[in-house]
Amino acid sequence: MLEIVNSPLFGISLSVFAFQAGLFINKKLKNPLANPLVIAMLLIIAVLLLFDIPLDAYEEGSSVIYMFITPVTAVLALSIYRQRDVLRQAFFPVVLGTLAGALAALSSVVVTCNLLGLDRTILASLLSKSVTTPIAIALTEQFGGLPALTIASTLISGVAGNLLAPVLAKLFGIKDAVAHGVGIGACSHALGTSKALEIGGVQGAMSSISLSFSALWTVLLAPLFF
Amino acid sequence: MASMKYLIQLALIFGLCLVGDVISLVLPFTLPSSVISMLLILVLLFSGLLKEHSIAESADFMLKNMTFFFIPPVVGILRYSSLVQSIWWQLLVVNLISLFACFAASSWTVVLVQFVQKKIGEKQHA
Repeated sequence: MLEIVNSPLFGISLSVFAFQAGLFINKKLKNPLANPLVIAMLLIIAVLLLFDIPLDAYEEGSSVIYMFITPVTAVLALSIYRQRDVLRQAFFPVVLGTLAGALAALSSVVVTCNLLGLDRTILASLLSKSVTTPIAIALTEQFGGLPALTIASTLISGVAGNLLAPVLAKLFGIKDAVAHGVGIGACSHALGTSKALEIGGVQGAMSSISLSFSALWTVLLAPLFF
Repeated sequence: MASMKYLIQLALIFGLCLVGDVISLVLPFTLPSSVISMLLILVLLFSGLLKEHSIAESADFMLKNMTFFFIPPVVGILRYSSLVQSIWWQLLVVNLISLFACFAASSWTVVLVQFVQKKIGEKQHA
């Protein structure tokens, strides 16, 4: 048994099947709370605990999938390139909107961490949580934080943004599609962007551009807040 | 040879990411290699040195299944489950407050900048 689970093929196939199950359940339930990523996570953890399989064995395979994180982020360039006409029209609003969003995200994390009396290691781990996971992890490692807390936080932000995207627009009185998309991408990266694509083409396009610009602003500005 | 196309596209994307890695090592400041690779591909696409069709199919495969690639780090939280559990409500509070602040600041700024641009445009036409 141990030989089988120690093969990289085990972790890869378990991840693929768990994600497929997540997509299937999400389609059936039509409930945004039934997030495919969350379902896949719960299924994999359940399998590991049920059969007493060590996390190290799973990571033999999952590290192969994780290797794709950099290329996956890099090819977001293609999605921006394809939306170059929209970007040309809304260039300044997007650049300044994402700058304001990054400043608000960074300063609100610093303020709330201080109010809750959390130590600097935790602040270092949460500072970059609004941006896409690979960049958030890179920044956390740079500041000496704990990547696990960063991943938990980017997940909370992403899933919450995905769930709340329609509500947020109503709550803050946003009627403009460009503004809505930029807001979603700035606060909840790729996970929120997948929801923005469902709301509308313009929202999806703006959210993709916004998550890229937000990542850039955060990389440049985060050191000032730590 | 058509079946090789996707592998060649994948190798091209990987190669560009390796160039991004090298640039990231040489730069005097810290910028994640994924961001550098994204900017590199963007510059190459806009300059016409890299054609969309040279990477399109493999890139779309990754973009359409983007969430899948985030499973490993998410499951990896298991290793630190006691740490996350010990401060779960603080994590929730910090994240939700920051989410609202970030959404409000970015979307309102977009509305404001568009309003200012419109006013400037009207002035020039008048």
